[in-house]
Amino acid sequence: MQWRIVPGQTLLHRGWEDGCVLYNDLSGDTHLLTDNAMQLLLALRDGDVDADELAAPELATVLETLAGLDLIERC
Amino acid sequence: MLTVGQLSRGELDRQLAGAGIRLGTGRFTTCLRSAIPSVADGIHLLYADYPLRPADGFADFHLQLTRPRNLRRWLGPQVTLLYDGRSLFKPLPLDQAFPMFEWGLNWCVSSRANRYLIVHAAVIEKGGRAAILPAPPGSGKSTLCAALVGRGGWRLLSDELTLLRLDDGEIVPLPRPISLKNGSIDVIRDYVPDSVMSRPVTDTVKGTVAHVRAPAASVARAADTARPAWVVFPRYEASAALQAVPLARGDTFMQLAGNCFNYSLLGAEGFTALAGLVEQSAGLRFTYSVLDEALAYFDALAAVP
Repeated sequence: MQWRIVPGQTLLHRGWEDGCVLYNDLSGDTHLLTDNAMQLLLALRDGDVDADELAAPELATVLETLAGLDLIERC
Repeated sequence: MLTVGQLSRGELDRQLAGAGIRLGTGRFTTCLRSAIPSVADGIHLLYADYPLRPADGFADFHLQLTRPRNLRRWLGPQVTLLYDGRSLFKPLPLDQAFPMFEWGLNWCVSSRANRYLIVHAAVIEKGGRAAILPAPPGSGKSTLCAALVGRGGWRLLSDELTLLRLDDGEIVPLPRPISLKNGSIDVIRDYVPDSVMSRPVTDTVKGTVAHVRAPAASVARAADTARPAWVVFPRYEASAALQAVPLARGDTFMQLAGNCFNYSLLGAEGFTALAGLVEQSAGLRFTYSVLDEALAYFDALAAVP
């Protein structure tokens, strides 16, 4: 199972000491994400994460959360 | 430039009841018409220092307060607010005509001035740096604001609407009367005895309300913008010890966004403007019960370079 950034997301964000705020281009919502979640989004955008990593159970929750925020989708 | 205070009371009444006055508040001009005496009373008392723009000039907002000709007028006199000639709000008891003007003008700015990111917050300035005080009703925001500008030497930029200019992140002043509610009215009457305050109006949706005249020096500097430096979320709590807890930037951002009128409307532009504000401001959660202590704390804030 692969994941990708939902087309149209520019991942407009700012990172600070307590995490990142990210603007969702499609919903207009703003989310406060952990730094790790933000790094995962950027890696997905850049093709810098492989299928094996994405299949790891440890990532399942964060991937589902990001999908629930309409930031990523299965492909 | 002609100010409201330079008109005789009779002339003010005549113009208000006729073609209206073009009242300058910060960068906005409002054409206001009303033959209701309490509206003229409020304008005369609280807007004496404000400029009157030319009668044939542009006005951002056209407001009229009038008595509706409906069945209710036989039961209890009412006032209605017309925006561009149309009634957008339910009529209120006639005694609430002046507060209705203040609320109506707030509505005009908060729903129409989308060249700014607009935060529901008081904002004050000292030394060119602005402290933004967002807070829900009842948090003690206006009381603290009135004390800081009345006795603390801070300049009033706004009691209600913080206007953040999108292109350069400057805060644009909108100094207007400070709205006080219920117990705060007596608190400020005692704490700032030389404040000029309108007659309290009872039984409004907000309880009893009164408005305090903005300091003349703040009105005179309505064109001077300020840089954001602090975002302080105030909360009055009876008998509480003063407490100022630093807030992380992400939390500050999310709480500020929740207090914006047009954040969603502005989309990515609003996000970028708000992020810029947060990056140059210290966020604080501020609990107070004693105004003297609160003013001393703000003094110390402003004293740090």
